[in-house]
Amino acid sequence: MTRDLGEFCARFVAPLLGGGTVHVAAPVRPADFRAMTGGLATLRSGEVAALRLQRAQQLVAEPDLQEPGAEELALWVALYNLLVLDHPDRSRVWARQATWRRVESAARYWLLFSRPEGFSAALANHAAVGAFLELARRDQILSGAEGELRFVGQEIPRRRLRWTVPGALSVREETVTWWSTAHVAEVSALQQDVLWASPVTCLLRPLMAPPGYSPLEGASFLRHRAFARAVCHAWASSRHWIEIGGTVLGSLLFSLTGRPLSGPTPSSGATGAASAGRPMLALPAPVDTAGPEDVAALVAALIHVHFLRVLELGARLGVAPTSRDRPVQMFLALPLLLPALGEVLGSPLGGAAEGLGFDAQVERRWIEYIDHLGELIPRSVVENLLATLVPRVVKAETEP
Amino acid sequence: MARRGAATLPVPMPALLEPIAAGQTRFHLQGLAPDARGVACGRETLVAFPSLDRLVAFLGAYSEECSLDELIPTMTIERARREGGGHALLMRCAGTDSYALDRLGRLSLAVHGQLFTGSGTVFVRYRDRMAPFGYDLAGSTTTAASPEEVLVVDFDVAARYRALDRLDPVELIQRLSLRQIPLPLAGIASDPQLCGLHEIALVLVAPGLSDRVLSYLWSNQVPLAGVRVALAGERRASLLVRLRQPSGQVLDVLHGIPGVELLAPVSQRAAVEIGYRHPIHLASASSCLPGDEMYLFRGRVGRVERLDGAPQFIDGAHLVRSETAARVHEPGDARGTAVQALKVELRLRPTASIREPRGALIRWEQAGLLRRLIYLIPPMALAAARLAVLPQGMLVLTGSSLGGAAGLAAGVGAAAIIPLGMRIVEVAPGVLVPDGFELWPHVRPQLVRELLGLEAADHALFLGTEQSPLRLRPDHLAPLDAAMMSRLELAVIEASPSETPTSGPATLQNERLGRFALWGFGEAGRGGRAVAVEEPSETPELPPGRES
Repeated sequence: MTRDLGEFCARFVAPLLGGGTVHVAAPVRPADFRAMTGGLATLRSGEVAALRLQRAQQLVAEPDLQEPGAEELALWVALYNLLVLDHPDRSRVWARQATWRRVESAARYWLLFSRPEGFSAALANHAAVGAFLELARRDQILSGAEGELRFVGQEIPRRRLRWTVPGALSVREETVTWWSTAHVAEVSALQQDVLWASPVTCLLRPLMAPPGYSPLEGASFLRHRAFARAVCHAWASSRHWIEIGGTVLGSLLFSLTGRPLSGPTPSSGATGAASAGRPMLALPAPVDTAGPEDVAALVAALIHVHFLRVLELGARLGVAPTSRDRPVQMFLALPLLLPALGEVLGSPLGGAAEGLGFDAQVERRWIEYIDHLGELIPRSVVENLLATLVPRVVKAETEP
Repeated sequence: MARRGAATLPVPMPALLEPIAAGQTRFHLQGLAPDARGVACGRETLVAFPSLDRLVAFLGAYSEECSLDELIPTMTIERARREGGGHALLMRCAGTDSYALDRLGRLSLAVHGQLFTGSGTVFVRYRDRMAPFGYDLAGSTTTAASPEEVLVVDFDVAARYRALDRLDPVELIQRLSLRQIPLPLAGIASDPQLCGLHEIALVLVAPGLSDRVLSYLWSNQVPLAGVRVALAGERRASLLVRLRQPSGQVLDVLHGIPGVELLAPVSQRAAVEIGYRHPIHLASASSCLPGDEMYLFRGRVGRVERLDGAPQFIDGAHLVRSETAARVHEPGDARGTAVQALKVELRLRPTASIREPRGALIRWEQAGLLRRLIYLIPPMALAAARLAVLPQGMLVLTGSSLGGAAGLAAGVGAAAIIPLGMRIVEVAPGVLVPDGFELWPHVRPQLVRELLGLEAADHALFLGTEQSPLRLRPDHLAPLDAAMMSRLELAVIEASPSETPTSGPATLQNERLGRFALWGFGEAGRGGRAVAVEEPSETPELPPGRES
């Protein structure tokens, strides 16, 4: 790989952020990384900065992005080396296994190094990681009498097609999402570190979050009104909004109480280190900095998801009440806590005294929805939440 | 008591028939064989009718359902006497399969007939619900009938019939008397089908009435064809007239004339007088009418007329005698002599009538004013207006004369808004004259276009009484807005990178990895460090809890 930052951005970063072909060849060495950090100033007004801004604008209208720094470059380099570790020609390289482990360690270090400190850095990381999750790979499959040969993200070499009888071989293409395909063990372990490096991505896609993830990590970002709106709409627009809500609330209660709940937890379907048969190298971080405001912001966001679904007439509870998942039931019970939480969180209706026109319809729909929930959700679930969750919001707020 | 009880008990009769089992192939009765369904069918079928009218009813019902032509070639009808007393009519025909026999059985049952199957002189009962595969003789001891007799075996009785005489079925059908059916009280015209005469009607006219009937039909312009036919027993030939799609009124008139009979064709070679019906459906019994003769079934007189061959009808024009043809003659061609003297000139003349302005002819001196007025014209009117550049000035047209969407969308029109030049009005579609003038004499508007030789989208413009009109073709008329607007120059700018839209997810391409792709990776680690990353001096502290 080159030591030139411009070439690296042109071949990897810019296509990743803006769409295009990402070229993967030799890995970036630490020395190359150190050389590239010297040229970071050139990125301030280049194409990469514009694409990065544009990516962030897909989430919030006016993102307050800082200039790309060493941490962000470390994330890009780590993502690149992650792709190198999954390269199909890896066996051709004359290197010992220990050398490959160094590549893996370097990538893990850079991912750890790139963990964001504030919302601006988290948004920048989400621009890269979000694009990385969508990265597609075009495989070419050569079919013949002897079977199929898959060329992973590569063109079929011409020598394969030479000296063949016409019609004996057939070529077809498959486009897959790189993230969801099978990977080698090192890459599967590093995928969790990638997600740890982007709490905004984990907050937007809680079903993909790594084991041990707590939504409180990104809860402080919800204080930004535009971002909170984006998160609520991202959750509410999903077909699995009930499952998402259950996952977020389950992991939140796990973080608060330390007791796991049965049911969906973050990354239950994600490729984890445990599934790869390796010790977990990146441990989840305990969230001890989160305050009651963060808990209140998360709970308010979850309740707002209910309200958005009611607005879109999409709150169908035909399947959800049949689920016995505790977190899902708790998520569905959240609007029933509004009498207790309303003093702190407010009301989705904005506290209008007497709605007219559309507001009156929405108010009627919301009241009907809450009545419907009251009939469906067991009383024990509500009482459990009143004992565990509500004091974390209300009492902490009222305490001086 | 025992003797008295024994005297009242019925004496069990030995059964003469036994049901046939499924799959049975050997039978006591000779000639009986299973068909494709396993039903036992003989080579012949016998239907016994108690009287002649039942037989006729059976033939009528059969002809309505299917063709008698299949039945008649093998059919014989015999009048027979029963050995124990009584008469019956026996109809014999070939036994085909159980489907045909089922139909015969169903129809014969409806007219109180009985169906038997067998061959030669012995017949047994056909299948019923108790024996779905039919019946066979219970034993071979049944006395065989003589060649002149027919033995009919039922469950418990065997009847012998001796044939007295034989009836020809074709002759029987031809001799059947017609049955009267009611005609509409309000006349034939009230029937939508005209009693079967709506397509073709045959009219049989007595010899003395033929001329008058022909003249009546000819004077009413009824398409007709006729032929003189000689009926049996009459000295003079009658007239047979064929009317195609006659009107109900004509048929009503003809039906009321004594000596005139209306006949409805029921097949190619048979016609039946209206108000009567043949017991047999003749359309399905063409073999009942042998030869090439045509049969006219006359109900009122009760006769069947046989005509030798199909009648060769002659067109009605040759049958009537017209006396007025000599006095009618063509007027001759006088167009070349008198029309020249009648020609007048189409010209402009002043008028006081008020018309809606359709355009304005603006002199070139006022072009600058028009250019400024363009800004005041509403968008719809501006888009609908057209401009023609003429040596006399600029002609602005709008309104219905343009046709299509431009004419419909015009509304008030730009020409009515522009207070410049000479107003132009429309006296005919596409014919424009100055306001205050009209074309004289008043002729049809479409004729004006034809006289001027205008094509579909052409316009004609009269500018004065002394000037010849101008022809404006569609290519002379340009949209007013496009003609008046100056060309705009667009500056090409390059979009900033921040405005370039993202083109979707990126695609991964693995390039060829060389043998020395990891060359130099972790060289610094040879000193003993496990992690060969050259950590920068400004490496930030790890977040809490991640040190491990």
